[in-house]
Amino acid sequence: MVNNALNIAQFALERAAALGAGMIEAYLNSGREMTVEVREGRVETMKLARDCGLGLRVMVDGKTGFAFTTDLSREAVENIARQALANASRTAADPYRVLPKPYAGYPRLDIYDPAINQAGEEEKIELARQMEKAARELDSRVNIIESSVYQDAESEVTLVNSHGIAATYRTAFCGLYIALVAGEGEDSQTGFALDYRLRFNELDAAALGRRAAERAVRMLGARPVSTRQAAVLLEPYVATGFLGLLGPGLTAEAVQKGRSLFAGRVGRNVASPKVTVVDDGARPGGIASAPFDGEGVPTGRTELIGHGVLKGFLHNTYTAAKDGVKSTGNGVRDSFKATPEVGTTNLYIEPGDTSPAELIKNTGDGLYVTEVMGMHTANPISGDFSVGASGILIENGTLTRPVRGVAIAGNVLELLKAVDGVGNDLTFFGGKGSPTLRVSRMSISGR
Amino acid sequence: MVDKQLLKEVLDLALANGGDFADVFVEHKQATGIGAEGGRIERVHSGIDAGAGIRVLNGESTAYAYTNDLSREGLAEAARVVSRAAKGAKKDYNLDLRRVEPLVNFTIRERPDAVDTGRKVAAVEAADRAARAVDTQQIKQVMVGYGDVVQQVVIANSAGDYVEDERIRTRLMVQAVAAAGSVIQTGYEAAGSLSGFELLERFTPQSIAETAARRAVEMLQAKPAPAGKMPVVMAGEAGGTMVHEACGHGLEADLAQKKLSVYSGKQGQKVAADVVTVIDDAGMADRYGSYRFDDEGVPARKVTLIENGVLTDYMYDRLTAGKEGRASNGHGRRESYQHKPIPRMGNTYIAPGKADPERIIKETKEGLLVKKMGGGQVNTTTGDFVFDVAEGYLIKDGQVGPMVRGATLTGNGPEVLRIVEMVGSDLGFTIGTCGKDGQGVPVSDAQPTIAIKELIVGGTGHGKANGQIRRL
Repeated sequence: MVNNALNIAQFALERAAALGAGMIEAYLNSGREMTVEVREGRVETMKLARDCGLGLRVMVDGKTGFAFTTDLSREAVENIARQALANASRTAADPYRVLPKPYAGYPRLDIYDPAINQAGEEEKIELARQMEKAARELDSRVNIIESSVYQDAESEVTLVNSHGIAATYRTAFCGLYIALVAGEGEDSQTGFALDYRLRFNELDAAALGRRAAERAVRMLGARPVSTRQAAVLLEPYVATGFLGLLGPGLTAEAVQKGRSLFAGRVGRNVASPKVTVVDDGARPGGIASAPFDGEGVPTGRTELIGHGVLKGFLHNTYTAAKDGVKSTGNGVRDSFKATPEVGTTNLYIEPGDTSPAELIKNTGDGLYVTEVMGMHTANPISGDFSVGASGILIENGTLTRPVRGVAIAGNVLELLKAVDGVGNDLTFFGGKGSPTLRVSRMSISGR
Repeated sequence: MVDKQLLKEVLDLALANGGDFADVFVEHKQATGIGAEGGRIERVHSGIDAGAGIRVLNGESTAYAYTNDLSREGLAEAARVVSRAAKGAKKDYNLDLRRVEPLVNFTIRERPDAVDTGRKVAAVEAADRAARAVDTQQIKQVMVGYGDVVQQVVIANSAGDYVEDERIRTRLMVQAVAAAGSVIQTGYEAAGSLSGFELLERFTPQSIAETAARRAVEMLQAKPAPAGKMPVVMAGEAGGTMVHEACGHGLEADLAQKKLSVYSGKQGQKVAADVVTVIDDAGMADRYGSYRFDDEGVPARKVTLIENGVLTDYMYDRLTAGKEGRASNGHGRRESYQHKPIPRMGNTYIAPGKADPERIIKETKEGLLVKKMGGGQVNTTTGDFVFDVAEGYLIKDGQVGPMVRGATLTGNGPEVLRIVEMVGSDLGFTIGTCGKDGQGVPVSDAQPTIAIKELIVGGTGHGKANGQIRRL
């Protein structure tokens, strides 16, 4: 496939050049995926797929155009070369729209575990079954498994540009996801767990099943609390959700376009000294790790916030050219259907040295938030958020009773400044991760 | 795209190892996207995404394969993959592939693939200028996004159905950023529907842009929303995020059958106040969630979900309908050939009532008026939902007072539907992309002006007003 992909890319470059393009970049992706969904021991859904596609970016006199296709015949490729050029003619000229020159080398990363492909279908189905079984065995009140899923995918990326970059890599990941319900009388509560890995033997199905079951069971009997201001502990999954809200504002694109809440604050305190935020596209084991980004720029580690101080922003080739700096290797593509925009890779908050249990103990009174709803409605530009929340009440340093149906609200910058505890339990959920965070004070709306 | 003879061969191959039912969904989607930011056209994208999804149902299990190789060999390979995963008893099936007739028809006046890109660019530029003109000082950034999609589908199945359809959708969205001092706020407005470029005659780029920009500027003056429980009035123009979250998802048959919905097993039971009737009608003309056929080739129709407070029906796809020995009611949708169909909403709304919308506000002593809803989310198992208030005001003694910002409303679906006190005679739709099981589909939803006895408002304000409201 790789040779074939390189040939298609070269053909696209030739055709676009013949039609008058200046700089040209072809990005091809081909892959396969498998998803198995198990319910009550039976396979409910088995999904198998192969797909491929080409995205072609051209620049003519500073104007950029883009077109994509899933049909890789010569005729279709010729057609999108023409479309990309026509699209370019409609955009505004911008001298910073350039493509990167070839690099001396790329980081060597261990991102393809052959065991994922070698494992048999039955073995993968069995993982989903084990996860379901472990969940049911933990507590008899676990009464509905919404889905117990095994998933893996493998892809080959080929990138060729008219400056001479011609690079490829192969990557694979696998993962497990479970969502379930625990019930007692009229009360039903949900729990879930997920884990995505680059290595097949790192998946621990039974542990995930138990974690999901614990999450649901501990919420049985939850009810709202009264409106108050209190200390709030954010579980890693919830803290990761807030980190996701910060992501867009940490890109140079948002800064250059006047929609970053961090604009003009480099070198200043933007968070509590306990907070360090890093993006690392070459992180060992990172699900988003790759030797180069969507433009062929080497990936690497970028400290964005160091002990509360804003250090800098993420760049792709365009924003870097505009600011006169080097790209950080964050030209991220969602797929061949999208252009490389500034985005995060493996984005995480560095762990501290306090265990979550100690954080709870030291809190006195507060709310341990284990789930939020409506995070996607928060505003990444103003940083304002107001989300539905559920969790467990902390009284005198002890988790006492489950709480649901309340809302927590504030501004994410104020939240960052009010972090007064960082756990040692950094946990990744896909490409983003965080340890448990304690926020000294937040608004809780309830009864 | 793919001829009938080949579709028959593919269905035969898919059922080679047995199975109750097989279908093929072939899709060819041409999309155009234009984006402007910073007053310039930054992005003109176009492309073709084509592929096929093949499915075999056997008992309660689904085998699914997709490919974007639409050649005879590519489709045959996908069919073989799916048949290997399917294994079941061999059954008789019928491959005469009769064309299914729709119950509704839509007229597209101006196909977007026949509209010159220059006109689409001009619409985006007009929106950008109009938004900036609202307040040249305070509007700091404007983002305009235009998109159109021409999706051609062919659906064939082992029940002998054959459907060819074309769905054309057009959309324009504007987001404005306003700033004053250290306060930064945004305003958003969008229009979209199952229609061609004529959409922009009904909703001009200027009007969409001005609404977004005004909202951003006005939000600069807004006070933080109060925190706590209080009466809420939702205006007819506010959209229907609440009905979508509070009962729409819970009435999808897959969730109800798996007992993952608070509305499971409640057919024929009272689940809402008498004044509440909830309908999903994908067959409405010119709505974002409209379609002639769903993605399983079932004709779209009007489905009454709740009638005068009583749960009358759920939304079904073929698989969930089959489990109950009934027919699908046209709600099997999928994001693309890469996904299996599941029960989804189309255009969901609370039917208008008799109350005068203005009177509903006048009769509210104290509370929150929602003039525009944003996004939302629901846990269907518990019924707990949230939605964002994109534009909200305090109401005092029947008068609309100051604007507030940063509020989310939280409630429990069945509890809230029971305390709907008044339903107005108006109705206003808004559009959205609804996400479920990793699939996004275009939907619209609407509500008349309604008064709800109380909801939890998740603001940050702890002022005097809040104290008064909390005593209610």
